[in-house]
Amino acid sequence: MQVKKTNFTVNATPRFSVLTEDEIEQIYFSALSVLYETGVRVYDQEGVDVAHAGGAIVEDTTEDSSLVKIPPWMVDKALSTLPRKVVVIGPDRKHRMELFKDQVYFGAGSDTPFTIDPKSGERRRATYEDVKNFARLAQALPNIDFHMSLGIVQDRAVGTYDRWQYLAMLEGTTKPINITAVDLDGLNDQLEMAYIRLGGKEEWRKGPIFSLYIEPVSPLSHSEEVIQKLLFSADNEIPFVYTPCPLAGATSPTTLAGTAVQALTESLFGIVLAQIRKPGAPMIIGGLMSNMDMQTTVYCYGSPEMALLSAAYTEITKWLGVPMYETAGCSDSKMFDAQAAMEATINIATAALVGGNMIHDVGYLEQGLTSSPELMVAANEIIDMVKRILRGIPTTDADLALPVMDSVGPGGHFLEHDHTYKRFKHEIWQPQLIDRQNFESWEMSGSKTFKDRVHERVLEILEAEHEPLMEDKMFAEIKRICELADERHKDEELDLDMFGPG
Amino acid sequence: MNETLEKLSTCILEGDSEAAPGLVQQALDDGVVPKTILDEGMVVGMNEVGDRFRRGDMFVPEVLMSADAMQSGLEILRPELVSSGVKLIGKVVLGTVQGDLHDIGKNLVGMMCEGAGFEVIDLGFNQKPEAFIDAVKEHQPDLVGMSALLTTTMRAMGHTIKSLEEAGLREQVKVMVGGAPVDQAFADRIGADGYGSNAVAGSDLAKRLVGAG
Ligand code: B1M
Repeated sequence: MQVKKTNFTVNATPRFSVLTEDEIEQIYFSALSVLYETGVRVYDQEGVDVAHAGGAIVEDTTEDSSLVKIPPWMVDKALSTLPRKVVVIGPDRKHRMELFKDQVYFGAGSDTPFTIDPKSGERRRATYEDVKNFARLAQALPNIDFHMSLGIVQDRAVGTYDRWQYLAMLEGTTKPINITAVDLDGLNDQLEMAYIRLGGKEEWRKGPIFSLYIEPVSPLSHSEEVIQKLLFSADNEIPFVYTPCPLAGATSPTTLAGTAVQALTESLFGIVLAQIRKPGAPMIIGGLMSNMDMQTTVYCYGSPEMALLSAAYTEITKWLGVPMYETAGCSDSKMFDAQAAMEATINIATAALVGGNMIHDVGYLEQGLTSSPELMVAANEIIDMVKRILRGIPTTDADLALPVMDSVGPGGHFLEHDHTYKRFKHEIWQPQLIDRQNFESWEMSGSKTFKDRVHERVLEILEAEHEPLMEDKMFAEIKRICELADERHKDEELDLDMFGPG
Repeated sequence: MNETLEKLSTCILEGDSEAAPGLVQQALDDGVVPKTILDEGMVVGMNEVGDRFRRGDMFVPEVLMSADAMQSGLEILRPELVSSGVKLIGKVVLGTVQGDLHDIGKNLVGMMCEGAGFEVIDLGFNQKPEAFIDAVKEHQPDLVGMSALLTTTMRAMGHTIKSLEEAGLREQVKVMVGGAPVDQAFADRIGADGYGSNAVAGSDLAKRLVGAG
């Protein structure tokens, strides 16, 4: 073919960017200064020792902690062994996440004390059944790629809720899961549970079925619990998320750039420690950073600053070559209403457009204190809509459609044209819950609001027949681990019913 | 109103911690009674702060500046109040309970209580029941405040109250609790005297519990 043009660039997807490379570098090198000059406080002797052996400066040691300073070369060294791609595959070996630059996956958030009852709409404490139901929603919704426990199980032993949550999720979904762990024992138990679900440790090595959620403590602190989880994960080939939750104006500077620097410093320390412990340890950094609302003091999950900061941080992670734990699909509203849909839409669109990898917190209301089945189902549709935007506008000859226009000519129409028939389904996004009927048809179909339709869809999914995802024997074996944990930890419980009626 | 007291109340409203001690001293030098300085100077300023905050005309960092100014003035005024026999509003021992590292909410409650004139002894985060017991013995507070953000550490609130009982200290203090997953029902179950849903509610509750609200 004869070439008649040059310098032609194509946007296979739209492009969205908050920071230039120079700005990213400015933030990164600032973080290196903080890491080296201000240092981070580490509340775990083993962690301090590992860092020290790797070249860190350790000073100001108190009864429970030390100040650890990391010279820049240690970060360079750590980044040289940090995997740029992390893979998590569900137990069915079908649902998978390949996390690296610009790959977009969405999933829930976890550990909300409260939930909205799918039938009554009442806000109440979450139970085992709720967590299982959310997992079933995740399984049914095509735009949910991974899952987290949308509720703290509060009708089981309090101190071992993490195992019960994992069991409930395994009952409901075969998608990859991002777990939380109460402590190291909880993590160990859940790893055992995963081995059983998968058929052994070797299977795990071929593709872990969960990642672990770990959060350092802003500002610039790394607790014993956090460091122990990090070291255990590195030792046991568990991919883990190391995500601080700085709160601009309260636990980090009120300026977004300052918050990004601090968060990066916190994550970089995790990267350094993990890579010293086990070069190649798979990590994802992020991810939850926002501002304090200075009227109510809440941690905002629906603010433009949260979306913007997460997007900026995503660009930093792309530049660093580490997968990103983004935040979206969440809201500060108390129920699934117009505010919830509006905030979720803004943060979903921003996270997807910038290319966040593991985008979590779909289904969060009330700053992560309440989970909403309706928001989750609505978010599935919002994500679908945004994914249409991600497909962009190709401009090939077939897309430009000159011969089509030529054949129709001025006047006429395209409705019966082959070009329309062949391409409309791919080209034009078709909503499932959004209503586009005219008024009369809408009225005849029951005058249902978007909320009504979302609510019906939730119930439809939850009431559908479903086969168990595990055989009875496997389920019993996994459940046994939860029961043994209850037994071991029963002395820590209060001698009263914390959340039950009366 | 005395001109100095007026200045003092404005200075609290504007959150000027540097000027507050000087103005308190000036009022004392003018011969104004310590209790009057408190009630007609500082508290007037702080009440205005409260009103503006509730109306949405003032924001948390501004309120905290005012609370700071209140405390810096009180440092001069407190000994004078004590020696003139005025009962201070009270003392609070505050901490995030064992196993819990969330401390920003607790810090806010502490600062709001300071703004209300309380003396606050902040134990920090991840505090065992024994730390609360020791602090009660050492500081003889009117109130013990506990914060927990996790369902798992809410248990530590119950354990701490029990330890206070076992140490024979429960009767001498009021106990208030708060934190995102905590609610009134839980506070009742573990035998706390009150529950605060946010920092302002927390300091209002503290005032009520010492009979000053
Ligand atoms: C004495 O009288 C009183 C009266 C009123 C009182 C009071 C005392 N104490 C508080 N109040 C009240 O007044 C304050 C001011 O208005 C208010 O205080 P708050 O503290 O509520 O409000 C603050 C001003 C702003 N709010 C906050 O700062 C909390 C925000 C959220 C997002 C949050 C954060 C930031 C953090 N976290 Co955590 N964290 C969440 C939070 C979600 C949420 N929306 O609450 C919550 C609480 N965390 C949770 C979890 C799971 C966890 N966190 C963890 C860690 C952290 C960080 C360290 C990363 C960080 C805290 C850093 C810090 N320096 O404090 C882990 C536990 C660590 C530990 N051992 O403590 C970890 C277990 C995660 C993990 N698996 O590792 C969830 C609770 C789970 C549960 N079991 O109940 C959670 C609801 C988020 C979620 N959905 O997952 C009122 O509650």
